[in-house]
Amino acid sequence: MANEKKPEKIIQKWQNYDKAHEARDLDLGAAGRGVWLVKVPKYLSEKWKNSKGNGEVGELNITRSKLPGQKPSVKFKANPAVIEPKPGESVIPEEYEFRLTGVGDQNLVILSQHPVMTDPVPGVEPEIVSEHLSIEGKVMQRAECCPVANMRYSKFKKTQIESQNKPQRQVMHTDVVINYKPKTDHFFNIEHKQKKKNEGKKTRAPVDLVKDMLFNAFEKHQYYNIRDLEKLTQQPIAYLKDILKEICIYNMKAPHKNMWELKPENRHYKEDA
Amino acid sequence: MSATQHHIVRVPRGRKKKYGVVKFATGTDIDFVKLSQTPVKIERENNLKDYKLANDLDTQPKFGAGSEFGRDLKEEARRKKYGKIMKHYNPDDQPWQLKIGSGKQVKRYKGVREGTISDNTSYYIFMQGADGAFEAVPIEEWYNFQNIPKYKYLNSDEAEEEFTRRDKTLNMFSIMLKKRINKGGEEDKDLDLEEGEKKTKKKGKEKDFKLTDMDDWAEKSDDEDEEDEDEEDGDKEEKKEAKAKKNKKKKEDGKKGKKNAKHNSDDEAVEESDEGDYDDREVDYISDSDSLSEPDEQTKEEKYNDKGVEEEHGLRKLIDSEESSEDENKEEEAEEDKDKPEKDKKDAGSDSDSSSSSSASDSDIEKEEKINSALFMQKSSDKKRSSPLTVGDKQSSSRSGTPTNIDDRKGLKRKLDGDMSSGKKPRTESPVFNSQSGTSLDGITEESIRRYLTRKPMTAKELVLKFKSKKLNMSSEQMTSTIAQLLRKINPDKSTINNTMYLSLKKPE
Repeated sequence: MANEKKPEKIIQKWQNYDKAHEARDLDLGAAGRGVWLVKVPKYLSEKWKNSKGNGEVGELNITRSKLPGQKPSVKFKANPAVIEPKPGESVIPEEYEFRLTGVGDQNLVILSQHPVMTDPVPGVEPEIVSEHLSIEGKVMQRAECCPVANMRYSKFKKTQIESQNKPQRQVMHTDVVINYKPKTDHFFNIEHKQKKKNEGKKTRAPVDLVKDMLFNAFEKHQYYNIRDLEKLTQQPIAYLKDILKEICIYNMKAPHKNMWELKPENRHYKEDA
Repeated sequence: MSATQHHIVRVPRGRKKKYGVVKFATGTDIDFVKLSQTPVKIERENNLKDYKLANDLDTQPKFGAGSEFGRDLKEEARRKKYGKIMKHYNPDDQPWQLKIGSGKQVKRYKGVREGTISDNTSYYIFMQGADGAFEAVPIEEWYNFQNIPKYKYLNSDEAEEEFTRRDKTLNMFSIMLKKRINKGGEEDKDLDLEEGEKKTKKKGKEKDFKLTDMDDWAEKSDDEDEEDEDEEDGDKEEKKEAKAKKNKKKKEDGKKGKKNAKHNSDDEAVEESDEGDYDDREVDYISDSDSLSEPDEQTKEEKYNDKGVEEEHGLRKLIDSEESSEDENKEEEAEEDKDKPEKDKKDAGSDSDSSSSSSASDSDIEKEEKINSALFMQKSSDKKRSSPLTVGDKQSSSRSGTPTNIDDRKGLKRKLDGDMSSGKKPRTESPVFNSQSGTSLDGITEESIRRYLTRKPMTAKELVLKFKSKKLNMSSEQMTSTIAQLLRKINPDKSTINNTMYLSLKKPE
């Protein structure tokens, strides 16, 4: 379907949550403006979104009736350039009729959000700092954009139904035969082995040096897994364990299971932390 | 003439604005055009804390003490392993908070984003530009704005509490209603019930805040008003005495100081029960004057008796024979309470005293007498008088009717004592009573007619009715004939008022 391409992202995500939750003034400058709320078929709106050029999508012909109290007839003729089908797509209707309905006792107001971005600096992605919120008007009229039932429309409907009923998966004939043969060693395995070989065996550093590294690490966090310490210090696990046993406790129980922490006499964390 | 206008529709490109429709709940008359002067603020609801709490984020320190190396990453890996994909917090997804006005006039609205509207269709707004061309811009979000109530409403627990309270008030109302009904139905001869209710009522009153004893008296006087006119005079005397005694007692209580409250409550309790009352007073007599010997008591009694007789001398004739006997009963009982051995002697005396009593007792009459006396007793009970017959009734009612919530043991004990003594009384005294109360067993005596006539002028018919109401075991002709005979014998004064002849007698001096 035509839905596969996501519509362009208009508003970026907030980076600063505090700013996002700030109370802002609502701009009521355009509150008096009357607008129409029109329901548009999805296939047409897709075309509108992807329109190019000056953005003209069609022409609205409003004919007011001679008789007073009669609803005017509103017709829409789509711009042929806009609705031109892409290869593989079906032709969509060209003529539409606007069926007007009142708003009843519903109170519908249009609200717009306009993000205020940081000044564009090359190389740095702009960030939302604020937002301009305004009332854009009041819905005076509701309308439904319906295609006029003509030959073109029935043709469109026909293709639409056909395409929808087409099965998703189909049998295909292939010309080239692909043989999957067993391999002694896969590429990524070879890569990994090579990397390890380059690093070589971990060599035991002097105890004092390792201890310094460990104390440095424990200053940042209280609990460490042995694997993480191994990565941080680049020491063989057996050697590391010997040193850890000297200065640390091994937690065997729930909250920090299988983790090392400094012995009480060795640590000097702040009370409040 | 139908003119067709042509307008170009444009979809602006490279637009940065994001449009949404704000839907207000029906009934909210919000017009942004009118609000140009008032400050209107809008913000996103901050749910970051809730989000972190719900997803168990940032619960542990990232650095320093208590922190684990690479914990976040590990958690993330663990979640991925279990196929749990966590949604990131997006401020744009949070509901709007609209604030219109400031200070106390502020109105708040919450706008929740609605989904699924533009799943299968798309909405555009058409805005007419200055050149007549329409600008079509897509709607991306729908928000549903609803008013946030200003007042504080009850949460479920509070509402539950209030609900139970509501039940309570209903109960209170029904209690009040019951009370009112009972007051109205006091005339009913349902003695037991009435008694029970009175007791409960009194109990209720006890709990009330009492400023002075005057309140008590007012209550009593209320009760008095309900009484028969016949009884009033004679009883007042006795009441005075009782009051005097009570006052005395009060003073004494004051002296006792600490025990005061207890005693007061005792008094209160006593007031509703007849039998315990006497015991109480007796105790006070003893405690009152430290050297109260038998002879002293006797003299007091004599005085009491004398006075009663003196006062009632005139009344004796006015009051029904039953009442007089009843009065005697009371006195007797008082004596009896004080001294059991004395009782027999007294009984004999009283027997001889009641001149009008005749031994020919009819079972019917007896019954009637009982009921009558019971009725009177019930009324006189307010004046702390007890009668042997009603005691039994009261006992039963007090047991069933009154909740025994007496907090001080003393009162309870005393009451129990009274109950026990009264429990004996009916058995021992009933024969006495019978013999006494059979004042006019023959039904119609010269004495009784005289009494009626001295009290107030009566027609012959009324006189006959008086006796008829006594349900004497005789036919109406028999009755009228006897009455006529007796009337001839008495020869009362005759006066004609409104064409009816009234018979009357002057009070003997």
